[in-house]
Amino acid sequence: MTSGAHDHTDEPRTAAGISLRAFYGPADAVGAYERIGDPGEYPFTRGRLRPPHGRPRGWIQRELSGEGSPRRSNAQFHALLAHGALGIDVIGDNPTMSALDPDHPMCEPAVGTTGVSLCRKQDFIELLDGVPLDRITLSHSLPPAFALAGQFLAARASGVPPELLRGSAIQPPLYAEDCSYSTFLPFDLRMRLTLDSIAFSLREMPRFHAFLEDTYYISDGGLDAVEEMSLGLLEIREVCRRLLARGLSIDAFAPRIAILVNCRMDLFEEIAKIRATRRLFARMMRDEFGAADPRSWSVNVAVHTSGLTLTAAQPANNIVRGAVQALAMAMAGVQGLEISTFDEPFRTPSPVAHQLAIRTQQIIQTETNVASVEDPLGGSWYLESLTDELEHRIDAAVRRMEDHGDVGTLVENGFFRSIFTAAMDRHSSAVQSGELRIVGVNEHVVPPEADRFLRDVAEERFEPDLAHVARIRAWRPTRAAAPLDAALERVRQAAADPGADLMDPIITALDLDATIGEITGCLREGQGLPADPVGYATSRNPVEVRR
Amino acid sequence: MTRPGRVVIGTLGLDQHEVGAMAISRILMRHGYEVVYLGRFNTPERLTAVALQEDADIVGVSVHSWEYVAYTDELVRRCRESGFGLVFGGSVLTERDRDDLLARGADAAFGPYASETDMLGRIDAILRRVRAGAPAAEPSARTVTVKGGLAGRVVLVTGAARGLGRAYAHELCRQGVAVIANDVDEAALKETADACDPLPGSVLPVVADVTDQGAPRLLLDAALRRFGQIHGVVANAGLLRSGPLLKLPDDDLRLLLDVHVTAPFRLLRVLGAYWRGEAKAGRAVSAAAVLTTSAAGLYGFRAEAAYSAAKAAIAMLARVAADELGRYGTTVNAVAPMARTRLTEWLPGSPAADADPWAPEHVAPVVAWLLGPGARQVTGRVIEVGNGQVSAPEAWRPGAVHPLPPSMSPAEAEALLPTVLSGPPMPALLGPEPP
Repeated sequence: MTSGAHDHTDEPRTAAGISLRAFYGPADAVGAYERIGDPGEYPFTRGRLRPPHGRPRGWIQRELSGEGSPRRSNAQFHALLAHGALGIDVIGDNPTMSALDPDHPMCEPAVGTTGVSLCRKQDFIELLDGVPLDRITLSHSLPPAFALAGQFLAARASGVPPELLRGSAIQPPLYAEDCSYSTFLPFDLRMRLTLDSIAFSLREMPRFHAFLEDTYYISDGGLDAVEEMSLGLLEIREVCRRLLARGLSIDAFAPRIAILVNCRMDLFEEIAKIRATRRLFARMMRDEFGAADPRSWSVNVAVHTSGLTLTAAQPANNIVRGAVQALAMAMAGVQGLEISTFDEPFRTPSPVAHQLAIRTQQIIQTETNVASVEDPLGGSWYLESLTDELEHRIDAAVRRMEDHGDVGTLVENGFFRSIFTAAMDRHSSAVQSGELRIVGVNEHVVPPEADRFLRDVAEERFEPDLAHVARIRAWRPTRAAAPLDAALERVRQAAADPGADLMDPIITALDLDATIGEITGCLREGQGLPADPVGYATSRNPVEVRR
Repeated sequence: MTRPGRVVIGTLGLDQHEVGAMAISRILMRHGYEVVYLGRFNTPERLTAVALQEDADIVGVSVHSWEYVAYTDELVRRCRESGFGLVFGGSVLTERDRDDLLARGADAAFGPYASETDMLGRIDAILRRVRAGAPAAEPSARTVTVKGGLAGRVVLVTGAARGLGRAYAHELCRQGVAVIANDVDEAALKETADACDPLPGSVLPVVADVTDQGAPRLLLDAALRRFGQIHGVVANAGLLRSGPLLKLPDDDLRLLLDVHVTAPFRLLRVLGAYWRGEAKAGRAVSAAAVLTTSAAGLYGFRAEAAYSAAKAAIAMLARVAADELGRYGTTVNAVAPMARTRLTEWLPGSPAADADPWAPEHVAPVVAWLLGPGARQVTGRVIEVGNGQVSAPEAWRPGAVHPLPPSMSPAEAEALLPTVLSGPPMPALLGPEPP
């Protein structure tokens, strides 16, 4: 029980702290129906109208994947597609997320253990071998500029025209350095990579969502729904302003924005959050940015269910959590869904966990009839009231943060970092005190000996893929040195010139077998920084090409 | 404490889960610690170099991916060289990972849902140890090679306030065990708990009289409430009521039998029933019970007939209980300690520090071994240990067999029985010669 025994802790609240009544009635759902609107109509509270034909009615079913070498991850993709997955979401291992090469001495213990190892064009070609890029969507949980470049080159190698490519790339210029995906690049360079890669995608891959705002990874350390969406919208607004400042029109890029959100266990709040976000997005695009194309107003929302809500204790319980979260998100009318698998507290997904997660989505979609009617919960007094309240709170939080001044300065000052830290601290205190009740953790606990079910799968370990490291080491000196040096020099020069486009030199260098680590090293050098960000191997210049 | 404890905190390698490191930093700072925050991308060299430069006491590593495994041994070595405490924490650390970290020489390792109070208590204890300049517990080769070791197990020790019981609690704690330390003497029990405080394990003192009928249940409940499990018991509580047969009053006789025979019997009954229940529910516990017999029970003490009889009963209790509980995965053994305690003050020699062969500390590793994974096949045995030696005494065995004449006459008895008794003599009784 709660330690403080304050009266107010007994009052029911949502996870984000909104007070709840015992029941809701017509008086609680304020305002006219126009505030809500039909599905497919402004302000898109009730979402888009899903296409009546083509794909199975519903959402894109996919699961986070990527482990070991590109070949091994490719086999994982094919297994998922064989199970009926409709999309792919690929995440890199720690070195890849940090834009470091696997043969960097600090990377070896981490190669492939938490995602796929990618550092060169050939890796992307092997990763996507046999994947029907013109038919399935590919979501990149990878450094976006390299993900786009890699997919572009792999598609070219397999003869798929880039204009057919669909999918998304996470653009994390504000928060990634504070939330586990540090690339050791200064803020202005990260922002340039974001803007340049979005512009590249608009030109070359027009069906691709080159601006995926990922509020999942920033919020799964313990942010509540209001913090999550206000930070997400803040980043969207910042990137939009900068794209507009480059002379792009809002209607040229707004339809290519998508949001990947979190889904925790307070299900109605999570559904209301998505509805509130759609409405805020529509109003922001139409009224603040002046978008005229209705496609700019309705944002594509995908979901990754929360890993933080899953427990290391009694891992089988996580299957239930994933299922109820997925059901809620199906009712929220999302465009794409990934379930955090039951073994998530311990590892990247095992094959059995992958299959279970896909099956969970398939059961919900094919057996429950939940996808036949748009926004089935719309009009619920409770849900509409929550939607209004969250919309108000998220909007107020965005304004408050923008009142603090220049967002870039806030990044540099650690303003956001303190939000993330405080949230994690708050979450862990709430679990400690029992204020946040979690079955199997602070209630209905069983001793470890009694907690063996599915544990062998969950606790299985994935050794670093040292064979892949050796492969990269052996390959490095076989490259043609002169064109490579020239391409890398171009990257260096582009980084030094604030007005230069970074995407073209990056794609050229990757095409000429430069590695991601080498290219990123040159980006740093162009800005007068040391090529090796961790300064671990001073005697080994990772940019050096052996002849 | 002259100045607040100072902890260097960071992650290792490319492990990027920094929010965990920041959250633990905040908890420590809230409780008066100074934190030198190093964030991500650290090597063992960097963590310890900064700890040296900042005059820190403890190095703390936040873990979110398995890279830490590659750096652990080097970090342990560097921390030992410089006398820093070393603590790991992270929600991905399984029980096995935590055992492994402790076996490799980390001072503490916290997994998911570690209680903040426990965490701070352990870090406080490590700080006191470091400040006192005491060396860290050596990661013994045994702990490393024996899969799992004892770390993380929960063991009840009765009579833990002093003497052998305290030595057992101390040794078990040193090996990372959570000890439920029981005694009737609250003040002395607290001294045991304090003495164990700097060690990797933990001590939960529970004051109870083992001769109370409800004591075993109370102790089991305490273990389950606190730790959710129990893996072993050392029935060590004992007392001595001296007196020759002709003089020992009933009250003393009853007390001797209550403490030495009835109490361990009841403990085995209650814990055995719990372990049987777990086994039947498919959660068999690798449980171990260690009873306490004595040379008195094996060879007899002069003028201690009641005590000797009680201890002899324990040796046989171990043997038969081992058979009965074995089917549920529980081993039952007994030790016959030769050590200087309040019960054996007549033993020779001076209690001078480490050199004393009669010190209870020499018995403790044997008891710990009997509780551990290395002794899973050992059951129903007695081990005699102390005074620089260890042995497995031979139990009663059938003697040479002679045919028994039908309706043996007094004359036949006179002729036969001296022959029957002519085998090797019984060992001499122990204890001071009568005056």
